[in-house]
Amino acid sequence: MEQPILRVEGLKTHFPVGGGLFAKKQVVKAVNEVSFQVMQNETFGLVGESGCGKSTLGRTLVKIYEPTAGKIEFMGRDVGSLSGQELQEFRRNMQMIFQDPYASLNPRMTVGEIIREPMDIHNIGSPKEREEKVSSLLETVGLKPDHVRRYPHEFSGGQRQRISIARTLALDPKFIVCDEPISALDVSIQAQIINLLERIQQERGISYLFIAHDLGAVKHISQRIGAMYLGSLVEVGESSELYHRPLHPYTQALLSSIPIPDPERMRSRPGLQLDGDIPSPLDIPSGCPFRTRCPHATQRCAEEKPQLRQVGSSQVACHLYE
Amino acid sequence: MSLLEIKNLTTSFSTEQGSVQAVRGISLAVDQGEIVGIVGESGSGKSQSMYSVMGLLSENGRVEEGSILFDGKEISPKYFDGNEKAYEKYMESIRGNTLSMIFQDPMSFLNPVLTIEKQLVEPLKNHRKIPAAELHQRAVELLTQVGIPSPEERLKQYPHQLSGGMRQRVIIAIALACTPKMIIADEPTTALDVTIQAKIIELIKELKEKTGSGVILITHDLGVVASACSRIYIMYGGKIVETGLADEIFYSPQHPYTQGLLACVNNPESDNELQPIPGSPPDLISPPAGCPFVDRCSQAMKICKQYMPREKRLSETHGVSCWLTEKGGI
Repeated sequence: MEQPILRVEGLKTHFPVGGGLFAKKQVVKAVNEVSFQVMQNETFGLVGESGCGKSTLGRTLVKIYEPTAGKIEFMGRDVGSLSGQELQEFRRNMQMIFQDPYASLNPRMTVGEIIREPMDIHNIGSPKEREEKVSSLLETVGLKPDHVRRYPHEFSGGQRQRISIARTLALDPKFIVCDEPISALDVSIQAQIINLLERIQQERGISYLFIAHDLGAVKHISQRIGAMYLGSLVEVGESSELYHRPLHPYTQALLSSIPIPDPERMRSRPGLQLDGDIPSPLDIPSGCPFRTRCPHATQRCAEEKPQLRQVGSSQVACHLYE
Repeated sequence: MSLLEIKNLTTSFSTEQGSVQAVRGISLAVDQGEIVGIVGESGSGKSQSMYSVMGLLSENGRVEEGSILFDGKEISPKYFDGNEKAYEKYMESIRGNTLSMIFQDPMSFLNPVLTIEKQLVEPLKNHRKIPAAELHQRAVELLTQVGIPSPEERLKQYPHQLSGGMRQRVIIAIALACTPKMIIADEPTTALDVTIQAKIIELIKELKEKTGSGVILITHDLGVVASACSRIYIMYGGKIVETGLADEIFYSPQHPYTQGLLACVNNPESDNELQPIPGSPPDLISPPAGCPFVDRCSQAMKICKQYMPREKRLSETHGVSCWLTEKGGI
């Protein structure tokens, strides 16, 4: 766990929008100067409200989007400079599980074809070895070998998510970006998938970036967690530290809004709530992005964007902690 | 007498694969001024049972059996002697009036080409015959009531100009327009972020206090239930398997499904191991003859496969349908 497998520095992903005949050209700053590291065999959780840029960040890491600026270093190599053979290798080692298992599996392919496809593309093993790998993967994710010939529509949401996990494992990746892998599933099924992901990690030493808006699940699976707001990481900390002693006012507000499945606790809990809505990413406030909703905002917050700095064992981007 | 009393409600859907028995004989009651939670996974029949009450089942859906007593009147389609027109007419007169519903997805419920004001005053115009001159004032009041700032400007806007949380507030305002006696909220916060969710739940609680309406909250989120509901029904495979006060369900769950559900939910304040329930919910085209949970239950017995247990009352408020309690005599 000492060696960072992924190092992200000053990453920006911006999308230009508008710019028609009359419309002004604008820029959505979905990811705005994000820096963090993920260690080997670690799960790094990413939380935040919808629209905070957490999915865009995940997609930039696997090169679905090209970063506007900044550097991604994966297994010691600058991802931006990869091409040809090296890029192939990068894609083999960096895989992704998507949120919606109803949209991410091709309905016209059998389960066996779906899981084998990455190996076909990357030309790994002989046809016979691929078949064997498919059945061993099915077993790994808790499906039956005779499911090979069935089609995705014959499976429930949880089973489909198992199929997409098997597909990502086909290439023996070192890193998997999990973009809300459980939010489309029922509670009793969510726990099954989380436990499966944990078991796979222990067996294969994979690192995860686990994106979710369900803070309970993220805490459970992650060693460290980053809280994102309007494209910026506002706090990064050990998962239990972050939950028990959140530092950034945004993290505090976010955590205090999670409903706890315990009626007595809910009756006694003070209601610390966020006012207003998340501002548009087209028009991010100057200085600290959270200042428009922050109860502690001062003049300085509007003028100067706080940088992540070490406070105790966590890193926080807030002027309160200087 | 309860505000809403459902007895032995059975609803099915005809599909190409056969008849899906979505709701299989459920009974429940809700009083004025209480928030009652119906908890279940997708496919447990929690939404369809309430759509049956509202008369909003899709074409192929049918209430087969049972009685639905709302505000002292029988509103099950069965009791209109097959006169569908009379049923529709009656339901139209109470829907959005004394009985209203809040839907899950605020974007697909609001009409994108009408202003907020038009949509907000529609129930008032239809049900209350309020003079046109007063409508605007009422609309402003309603938006203020649900905590939307600068209501005058918002009324002129269209749904796409509002954020998700705002839209859900507008939907709640529409549901409240005629001060209904009963509100059925179908996963009102599932599409929203936790920060917005917490506020919407607070809002529903506040409004209940103010208007004294009865509220049914359909959800799969035990955290939401814990923060809002005084009583809970747990549904599984089209049946109610356990019911009780919130404290009874959370602190002394009796049904293995309820216990399993509580063990696999993420509590961010504790570090307990997640214990998933193995397997997946039953197929409701050919539902099991006995307990719907039998295939996933770690304590299943022979009798569970064959016969559905009757509900056993453990206290005045706590009831459970499980052969274990029957046998053990708790």
